[in-house]
Amino acid sequence: MPEETFLDRPIDRRSFIKGGMAFVSAATAMPPAFLRATFDDNSVPIAEVTKETAASLGRRVLVVLQLAGGNDGLNTVIPLGDRGYFTSRPGLAQNPESTLALSNGMALNGVMKGMKGLWDQQRMAVVLGVGYPNPNRSHFRAMDIWHTASTAEGFGNGWIGKLLDATAHEKDSAWRAANIGNELPRSLFADSVFVPSLSSIPAYVLSTDRKFPKDADRRLQTFAQINARYAEDAAVQAEYGGALAFVSQTGFEAYQSTVMLQADAKSYVAKATYPNTPLANAFKTAATLIMSRLGTGVVYITTGGFDTHAGQSGTQNRLLQTVSDAVGAFYTDLAAQEAADDVSTVMWTEFGRRIKENGSGGTDHGTSTPMFVIGGGVKPGLYGEQPLTSSPDSSGDLKYSTDFRQVYASIIEQRFGVASKDVLGQTYNTLPLFA
Amino acid sequence: MALDTDRRKIQHLLRRAGWGYSPSELNEYLALGLKGSIDRLLSPDSVDDSASQALIAGLETDPNQDRGALLAAWHLRIITTKRPLLERMVYFWHDHFATAVSKVESPAFMQAQNDLFRTRAFGRFDEMLTGVARDAAMMVFLDNRLNIRSAPNENFARELMELHTLGEGNVYTEKDIKEAARALTGWRITTEELPKDPMGKTKYPKPTGAVLVANRFDAGKKTFLGVTGNLNDQDVIRALAALPETARFIGRKLWRYFAVAQPTEEMLARTTKAYFDSKYSMREVVRTILTSDEMYSDEAYRWRIKSPVEYVLGYTRSLGLVGATTRTITQTRAMNQTLYEPPGPQGWSKGGADWIASTTMLARANFAYEVTRSDGPKAQVVDAPALLRANGLTVSAAQIVDGLADLIIGGDIDSATRQTLIDYLGGATHFNFAEAQRNGALHGVLYLMLSMPLAHLA
Repeated sequence: MPEETFLDRPIDRRSFIKGGMAFVSAATAMPPAFLRATFDDNSVPIAEVTKETAASLGRRVLVVLQLAGGNDGLNTVIPLGDRGYFTSRPGLAQNPESTLALSNGMALNGVMKGMKGLWDQQRMAVVLGVGYPNPNRSHFRAMDIWHTASTAEGFGNGWIGKLLDATAHEKDSAWRAANIGNELPRSLFADSVFVPSLSSIPAYVLSTDRKFPKDADRRLQTFAQINARYAEDAAVQAEYGGALAFVSQTGFEAYQSTVMLQADAKSYVAKATYPNTPLANAFKTAATLIMSRLGTGVVYITTGGFDTHAGQSGTQNRLLQTVSDAVGAFYTDLAAQEAADDVSTVMWTEFGRRIKENGSGGTDHGTSTPMFVIGGGVKPGLYGEQPLTSSPDSSGDLKYSTDFRQVYASIIEQRFGVASKDVLGQTYNTLPLFA
Repeated sequence: MALDTDRRKIQHLLRRAGWGYSPSELNEYLALGLKGSIDRLLSPDSVDDSASQALIAGLETDPNQDRGALLAAWHLRIITTKRPLLERMVYFWHDHFATAVSKVESPAFMQAQNDLFRTRAFGRFDEMLTGVARDAAMMVFLDNRLNIRSAPNENFARELMELHTLGEGNVYTEKDIKEAARALTGWRITTEELPKDPMGKTKYPKPTGAVLVANRFDAGKKTFLGVTGNLNDQDVIRALAALPETARFIGRKLWRYFAVAQPTEEMLARTTKAYFDSKYSMREVVRTILTSDEMYSDEAYRWRIKSPVEYVLGYTRSLGLVGATTRTITQTRAMNQTLYEPPGPQGWSKGGADWIASTTMLARANFAYEVTRSDGPKAQVVDAPALLRANGLTVSAAQIVDGLADLIIGGDIDSATRQTLIDYLGGATHFNFAEAQRNGALHGVLYLMLSMPLAHLA
């Protein structure tokens, strides 16, 4: 791994940052006026810029939901016609009567009423039997494979990161892509695009001392002023080289983006009731970003707990209901905001679980599993083929019928109009997932 | 400008070869002079560190059994140690031999590796390599425990050359990787017996070393870097440690870590000579760098961006916030760095540009807020007015700005920013300490100093 520094590899990042500054400055005649405008009135110039940016990007949004830990696909989308499912899982098999029928003998787990609603509204596709050759059963490794869309060893960029790199534009908003959570998933690792991670919108702020409310504005404006000066002062840059300019430009950008987010996010009012769960709150944050004209095109959400080696039944049902209710509320909200057709959500997990339940009322790491594609532009229905429990692979696990990269390629080409080979490194047969 | 006085040089030294400085720590080193300071930093055994060790021993949860405690113990050590360069080296080795607890899983293995880095920090590089090759955490992380005669695994052999000694594609070939992997086969991790623990609190046994399992070792003929024979791990490590390219690779990394971005050929030759003259002593390589003129040159000054660990723990240490470790863990994580959790075997970003993004800049500014807030928990916040009074900084806005700049960023602040901060405090003529305290400007000026761009540069 080559060492990276400013001096060795600054150019992409810095020109990106510069692009960001240029985009901000474009709203005003010249930087000093812009700076003054920022200090005098936070909302006016920023709102203008955002509208322009949003328009230049179009409104297609991708939301990715990662179910970390390996969600048991067989108890999520249930093959009612597969006898082996019932005999392999005397304790865990779902009662057919409690399930929610899709089509072709497949049914959703009975707790997934929110997502069944989306199926009924023709907003949901389920891709059955998704996997890849020589499946890896380590969480760590399997997630990397899904994140990077590659089984090659190494620590490359993510597939969404590559998509962002491939479509980067100098007018991109600082909020073009966002990760909801504290840790940036590898899917979003990119060369030239920084993706902010936020735990919540209220948390993406510059905090100030509550005991001194009158000091708060002066303090933050002084912060911004010092950063802006270093960012623009050629003499300072000549003396200290790139590091100081980079830090101060980004510091100023941080100030800008938080002001932009806090000003714009205020205008959003949810038009659905979100359940009070961390995951539903994350979706509400996603809706806020999308509806706030910040130019956001990608939102990434991760939820965990699916590694159900023991006592699976209650745990998985609770998790699936949380997911289903959150996604349901998200689309109820988006539909009421007339944005449901703009926003596609894809849901994945690093592997499914074994066909047979284990001795602890759980299931161990397995292989293929369904993927869900929901919302904007989706042609509803079942895709792929449900693997039969009676014809497993050599390790006794479910075979796969569809490579997960076929789903990625379909999103990349059909939703974003980008040649998927440029992002995924090779060509995969697409599925007709989007209209 | 720049590093023109002993005071500035020692401040610079403590930013690079230490974790910043509190006023009293700075005074201790100033009394030793530059040369005396370097000698003391390089001789950790001569410095009593029992107070810091006692604090760590007093932690409620066993670092060997719990990831949070594992992290807290190292944070606490960095914040409180009297041997700052030793911890600097442990941090360097942790990054160089990057190993992540998320794959290793056992905090006990990670703690043992951390102890290994501390024991061998300044020792012979070949001995460090041997220690790492047989280290339980590394054997899990780079899969060498799975590397057996019947099914060789090249993961460790490859990184040993690519990341630990030579640099990618330098000197060695793919064939050398395969042959080295064979020579590294057969090692198994050994651990203590877990104590009988009815509460099940002790889950992770401590490692006791590694043993070579004869029937898993490939005893066949191998050819590594041109030498043929029934080679074993020692043969591979000896061969690697003896290469000038290894000395150059490590030397370059240390020059960059401590001094300048682009060491010249002549500088690299100097550290290579120190490496061989001292029989691979890391202490002598580091000494060569810290005592060089280049260490205090304009090129060396403020080019490096602090990592989150350097930024957060450095200022937590300088401000004396010993009770802040739960918070520092959250703070560094929000800035995208968690010790024991490097992003991969290549370690963290080396120049620092990747640390800086809008979110992480907010997190850094919010760190400054959290340590200066007037309503925070006592052990985790600094009382800004008290700090100023304790350092005699009460006279004027200019005196406060200059004094804090010296303490926080090593002085040398440009006149425009200096004026901005003086104005913020009420200006040259209107400043009144009591009033500035009442309206929050004393807390604010410390916040601005800790969050300003220069504070992020080492």
